[in-house]
Amino acid sequence: MFGWLRRKERDGASAATRQAEGGPLFDASFQAKLEMLALAARRLHQGQSRAERRSKKTGSGVEFADHREYSAGDDFRYLDWNVYGRSGRLLLRLFEEEEDLSVYVLLDCSRSMAFGTPPKFDYARRLAAALAYIALAGLDRVALVSFDDTLRGRLAPTRGRGRIFAVLDFLRAQEADGPTGLGDAMRAFAAQNKRRGVAILISDLYDPRGFEEGLNVLRYQKFETHVIQVFDPGEVRPPLHGDVRLVDEETGEAREVTVTPRVLERYAQAHAEYRAGIERFCAEKQIAWHAVETSTPFDEAILRILRRGGMLG
Amino acid sequence: MIELAGLTLGQVLTVFTVTGVVVVGLYLLKLRRRVVVVPFVRLWDRVLADSRTTRLFSQLKRWLSLLLALLLVALLAAALGDPRRPGARDEGRSLVLLLDASASMQATDVAPSRLDRAKLEARRIVDGLGPNDRALVARMEARTTPLSPMTDDAAALRAAIDAVTPTEVAASFPRGLRFAVDALRGQPHPEIVVLSDGHLGEARDDEGEVALGDLPLRFVPIGRGRRNVGITAFSVRRYPLDKSRSAGLVELRNAGPRDESVELTLLGDGRPLDVQTLEIPAGGKILRTFEDLAGADSTLEARITLADGKRDELPADDRAYARLPDRRRARVLCVTRGNLYLQAALLLDEYLDVTETPPEAYPPQGRFDVVIFDDFVPASPPDAHAIYLHPRPAPGRDGPLVVTGTIERPLFEQLDRRHPLLRFTALRDVNVAEALAVTLAPGDERVAADPRGPLIVAGTRAGHRFIALTFDVRRSDLPLRVAWPLLLLNAIDGFLEEDAGYLSSHRTGETWRIPVPAETVSARVMAPDGDARDVPIVEGRAVVAGLRAGFHRLVTRTASGSAQTQTFAANLADDAELDITPVPELRVGATKATKPQPGRPGLRSEPWTWLVLAALALLCVEWFTYHRRLTV
Repeated sequence: MFGWLRRKERDGASAATRQAEGGPLFDASFQAKLEMLALAARRLHQGQSRAERRSKKTGSGVEFADHREYSAGDDFRYLDWNVYGRSGRLLLRLFEEEEDLSVYVLLDCSRSMAFGTPPKFDYARRLAAALAYIALAGLDRVALVSFDDTLRGRLAPTRGRGRIFAVLDFLRAQEADGPTGLGDAMRAFAAQNKRRGVAILISDLYDPRGFEEGLNVLRYQKFETHVIQVFDPGEVRPPLHGDVRLVDEETGEAREVTVTPRVLERYAQAHAEYRAGIERFCAEKQIAWHAVETSTPFDEAILRILRRGGMLG
Repeated sequence: MIELAGLTLGQVLTVFTVTGVVVVGLYLLKLRRRVVVVPFVRLWDRVLADSRTTRLFSQLKRWLSLLLALLLVALLAAALGDPRRPGARDEGRSLVLLLDASASMQATDVAPSRLDRAKLEARRIVDGLGPNDRALVARMEARTTPLSPMTDDAAALRAAIDAVTPTEVAASFPRGLRFAVDALRGQPHPEIVVLSDGHLGEARDDEGEVALGDLPLRFVPIGRGRRNVGITAFSVRRYPLDKSRSAGLVELRNAGPRDESVELTLLGDGRPLDVQTLEIPAGGKILRTFEDLAGADSTLEARITLADGKRDELPADDRAYARLPDRRRARVLCVTRGNLYLQAALLLDEYLDVTETPPEAYPPQGRFDVVIFDDFVPASPPDAHAIYLHPRPAPGRDGPLVVTGTIERPLFEQLDRRHPLLRFTALRDVNVAEALAVTLAPGDERVAADPRGPLIVAGTRAGHRFIALTFDVRRSDLPLRVAWPLLLLNAIDGFLEEDAGYLSSHRTGETWRIPVPAETVSARVMAPDGDARDVPIVEGRAVVAGLRAGFHRLVTRTASGSAQTQTFAANLADDAELDITPVPELRVGATKATKPQPGRPGLRSEPWTWLVLAALALLCVEWFTYHRRLTV
């Protein structure tokens, strides 16, 4: 089905871009995997009809969602007479409002994302492309937003799997350069996107001012927030020894450290605690959190995320 | 307190300063940390917060690391100084081991040879040296050659002992002793150790007896055999009047305790010429001459073997070598009106090309080696050596000698017997009717003379030598005597340097001075054992220090590159070396040699070794602390 897409990708104008990047970011095998992931996502989430994803809003749909007490001015048509007959209470039947799901893929383009082999940023872009494709295949409205400490790029909400090229082109054009500022960036995002939906934040969450503010902004603005934290194995177990001067890739801050096995051990512990802190925060705030190491094949990571459910189902 | 036996204090401090600066430099380089970019440096803050409390201690550890390195350098620099307690070296002895490498040490009465046994004993002495003893090994032959410094390095001493090779010369004991005395001057507890068969002669030379003073003399006697017959002299010469033939002389001596029967073989140019069996009594000598030796034109060799088929115990003196003088044709011009005696005398030597010319035709065309003027004096000296017979110049002309008158019936009363011109001649009773009274020029030699004036004069004119007989031989009975042709041929030989001073063989242990052609710029001598070495040329002679008997080859080269090879012979020919009876005791003046004493056992007290060990220990500590991350 995607043969024509792959051909176009191979022969199209994006070849120059691929060359410029030193290698294809979204090559034929990647696109084949997208196809496979979309199929897998369908199996994971039953239903093939249009707008089959239910929003959490209640409204004028046909699927019963809940009851609530009647109040003056409510439409009599929705009173549940059966309940009234059994219990004498006037309860209003609520139906889930069926609507197109808006999926926002928020891609961290800060300089720290360029770290790692392969760079976390490439990995994050592949994740973003895959998730966007799955969403497009599910006939959802997909928007992509890139940010560092502010919004840097935006692909307007779009629908239909044919728009995947626009997504790929958008992702290709992004560069990891700039300081991380989750709070400001998410505030700007929330201000620009009034239509609520699923916000998938792909980031390493290395924000000197803390990751909490940005996540809270999304939460306060009623976005169904999913966090995919991307990190490189070298961040967890850095291959360092001896006297080194550590310089922050984004801020230029420096620390002088004599790296010994004991220090490395303490660092690994600190890194684990940092991740645990994020996980704890997300759990408390009912934010879905996924930690992905770049050594994990991206399709495997996507399937793992999808299996955990809740993101696109 | 402490004295430095190695580098001086200044040098030690310089080494420490320079190396210390390098260490500090490297240390500072080490402090320049490697820059590593990380994605989120604040993650490290917690790690650093834990270690901040120990930062002061870390700084101290860094300084400790530098201190360890500097201490290491200081220890090694101090070790280079070789510090010692004053007088520590006095505890040890200083030995000079004189290894006799003379010809008699080649005797095989102790297997494999006396010299090898002496080397074995020397090694034992080195092995028995005390921890603070030092020694010097020297080879004693005609000269004494040090083969090692005064050292306590047993390996170096053993190598020096191994380097001792036998020679075919007599040992010069006084030289060896004087060398040892000089080497031990100012050394603590000096001792001289002589390893020899004891045939060293008196410790006396031209400077007098060697004074040992209180210097202890040790002696290790080597050898036990006595049986030896050797050639003590071997000489050959060509017959003056027939140079195609020669005569030889051989002297044999039996130094052993019993009568011996020996077989003497004479070889000419490698071919046997004569074999004789001779009986030599114990301690006796035999002189044998070989007359009329024909068939040898270049080399002669004498060999002896015991008639019973056994070998005597010193083979080195069983052979002797001699070289016959080279012969070449000489061009002789006779300026004469006819002199039968002269013509007859010159006919005796077939190697002379004689040309006759009357005085009126002088000078003829061509070059000549010698010109004989018979009763004629040319207007100017010839461009060749000259023999003047009755040199009376024509009126108004000058001759080689100024004639002042005549001497009636002169007699050969004064003869310079050592002059080569008079070899084999007898002139005492020669009768002469009249001789010229002449005045000699400065430098002229009076070879034979009457009290009233010279009869035979030798000298140099215009760069060429001349001989003058101041009388007319036809008015004497000299032409009737053998001395007449001998005199002429001696003169010609002398001019051509063919035979004058010729030695059929040289003696080993002496300095040989071999005539080389004019304009020779380099000379190289090849010994019989194949050893080749360049030798200096002094006053037209190659100077060679001869240690080997046999035929040597001398290759000379001129500036134009032309090479010439000549052969000469050398023989041991030393009576003292012939006697190989071991001497049980050695005396120098009033000093009697005793047995060598072993060194005092103990540990070598050389603090530098401890300094190096301390440095190594420090290095281990540094290695341990580094790898345990205690000092990083």
